[in-house]
Amino acid sequence: MYQALLTRRYLLSKVMPLLAIAAVMLCTAMVLIVWSVMAGFLTTLLDSGKTLMGDVEIEASLNGLPYYEDLRDRLEADPAIAASSATVKAQALLGVLGGSMGVQVIGIDGPSYHAVTGFGETLWWRHLDEPLRKDLNEEDLRLKIPEGFEEFGLHLTEVDRETGANVPAVVLGINVANANFATGGGWIVPFVFMPQEEVTLTVLPISRNGAPINVQAQRFPVANEMRTRFYEVDANFVLIRRDALQELLRMDEAQRIEDGFEFGVIEESEHGEESFSAPRVVGVDPARVSSVLVRAAEGVSLGELKERVRQVYAEFVLAHDDANPKPPDSSRIIIQTWDERPGIRNFVQAVKKETALLLALFAFISLTAVFLVCAIFWSMVSEKTKDIGVLRALGASRLGVAWLFLRYGTAIGVVGSILGGVIAVLIVRNINPIHEWIGRALGIVIWDPEMYLFADIPNQVEPTKAAIVLGAGVLFSVLGALLPAARAASLDPVRSLRFE
Amino acid sequence: MTLILANDVRKTYRLGRVDVPVLKGATASIERGEWVALLGASGSGKSTLLHLLGGLDRPDRNTRNNGNGAGEVVFDGRALTSMSARELDRYRSESVGFIFQFYHLLPELTVLENSQLGAMIQHGRFGWMKRRRNERARATELLDRFGLGERLRHRPAELSGGERQRVAIARALMNEPALLLADEPTGNLDRATGGRILDALAAYHTELGQTIVMVTHDEEVANRAERILRLADGVVEEG
Ligand SMILES: Nc1ncnc2c1ncn2[C@@H]1O[C@H](COP(=O)(O)OP(=O)(O)OP(=O)(O)O)[C@@H](O)[C@H]1O
Ligand SMILES: [Mg+2]
Repeated sequence: MYQALLTRRYLLSKVMPLLAIAAVMLCTAMVLIVWSVMAGFLTTLLDSGKTLMGDVEIEASLNGLPYYEDLRDRLEADPAIAASSATVKAQALLGVLGGSMGVQVIGIDGPSYHAVTGFGETLWWRHLDEPLRKDLNEEDLRLKIPEGFEEFGLHLTEVDRETGANVPAVVLGINVANANFATGGGWIVPFVFMPQEEVTLTVLPISRNGAPINVQAQRFPVANEMRTRFYEVDANFVLIRRDALQELLRMDEAQRIEDGFEFGVIEESEHGEESFSAPRVVGVDPARVSSVLVRAAEGVSLGELKERVRQVYAEFVLAHDDANPKPPDSSRIIIQTWDERPGIRNFVQAVKKETALLLALFAFISLTAVFLVCAIFWSMVSEKTKDIGVLRALGASRLGVAWLFLRYGTAIGVVGSILGGVIAVLIVRNINPIHEWIGRALGIVIWDPEMYLFADIPNQVEPTKAAIVLGAGVLFSVLGALLPAARAASLDPVRSLRFE
Repeated sequence: MTLILANDVRKTYRLGRVDVPVLKGATASIERGEWVALLGASGSGKSTLLHLLGGLDRPDRNTRNNGNGAGEVVFDGRALTSMSARELDRYRSESVGFIFQFYHLLPELTVLENSQLGAMIQHGRFGWMKRRRNERARATELLDRFGLGERLRHRPAELSGGERQRVAIARALMNEPALLLADEPTGNLDRATGGRILDALAAYHTELGQTIVMVTHDEEVANRAERILRLADGVVEEG
């Protein structure tokens, strides 16, 4: 009981413990801020990264996946599945603004792809009613773009200027063409307005048995640019209307001819006319895609969805058992959730490792708080030696005296941690205004929106993280008080009483 | 009936390589209800003997227990050296009350809280919660008796020396100890103030039969007691 009373009095009447509280406060605030911002960064990044991926992907080998519309019908009949879309993926050479570069092209069917991934939201050039908060001079080009402009991007279709016909078009990642400058205020200034340009796509089709066919190249108008805020995607991905890519890659529907047919042989007809030999048509090769993306229905987990897709696919293979060609059986396709994709998994792990490293560093720095509490308590025990002797003379046990200081350390930890938590929440919540203010007052920009891809710093504090950090703050204070408490307990009462 | 007995106790301090014998076989027996003064020159070992009686310190080990209880301090028939640490804590808490020359009040606590400190220690958290009302009433009554009824909320720093010592006496008496050990209770006070402290002790002694062992180097103070023991050369002499 005397411990509680003395703790209360010591807390209010001494300056030193206030220093200890301040140290604990700063350490917990620091760790919590770093952790919250880093974790928020990862979540935002992943949310953006997921944009083009759907929840689960069925990925076929290079040979492709036929009868995909039937597969989609079967998938969408399942209540666990909200939408599906078939895509074709390929590596390509992109000729843009006089240069060329390697890109990842995805052939998509705009509306169904949007239903699965929501990619339409990432189309950057679209009408904007109001300028952004920081755009005082209304420099944002989007203010002048007519309403409905993004429809071209959504359908990956442009109207040919000469013929007036609908032609397939592409959507470029916003950083692909290197024609844009992202301002600090969140809008983009183009050096070249890409939706008025054309690009050339060059692909290398692969035949059904894996051999390369002739290189194919074609020019396409640019319908729009997309900004997923995921750098890998924004710098490397090009979307194109699926039928155009299928055609380029020879993955569209085609007639199949007899095996072993020789081209270029001259035949004579019954009427004596000479002509090249014509192959006999023996069937139809169905159009193929490289993957089918699936979106989960509301409330269905990724794991459940994956399991459902696996079953539907097995039924699909069974149903086409006597078709020619057969769809690849379950062992030759990959069904994976979006976060199982190798690129994403590695990236997530890298960011998590970085966060862990940073946290470890800061936790290590926070050890100074342990030593500070220890030093302050050590000197308090010296200062209170005589009082400790009096307590022992009045019958207090060694353990009781140790508990006095441990309890006191706990109190300091609790008060310091709570204050630190409050400060961290206040700072993280207002991190963007604070950052702006620092930028204005000192001319220092810590968070470069170009580098971190977001105009805003993540500003959420998760309660679990706060609880962990605050708990650690208390633990560290108790640790710091441990040694002085042990010393107080081991003091000889007579020596303490004689202590001057 | 003997309340406490120091039987041929020895205490030697080591200063570096040199042994400094302070008590060289001191024997003193105090009856229940007695008021005994322990008189001696400065440095003669009075405080040392008092600490031994109060269970704050132990006599030299090598001279103890040669069959007849020599070298032991025995309280109410029980040798303090045979007690566990916990039992010794309880002995100090329940059976002994200490008064020091320099009061030794805790500066952060009020007068009332200081006087209740021993009771808080004795009863532990839950025991204290149960009886806090009672204990508070008793502490107030004691402080009232010593003329401090108006000063309950004051801090020790706001009190005079005499007032502080009266708080310390209240603190020592709070648990109704069988044995009150006072180490020069008036040593730091002027004669008149010291006299009133002694009056208070005397009243408590005569009214309630409180056993008191009082250390002093002042003959006049020693004369207030019923019996005088003299400590010189490490041994105790009667008279
Ligand atoms: N921890 C210690 N180490 C060494 N010597 C000590 C120790 N404690 C006490 N002494 C010595 O023991 C002797 C007796 O000390 P003690 O305090 O008992 O004397 P005292 O009679 O109470 O004196 P005073 O009247 O000045 O209070 C002194 O010479 C002192 O220096
Ligand atoms: Mg002394």
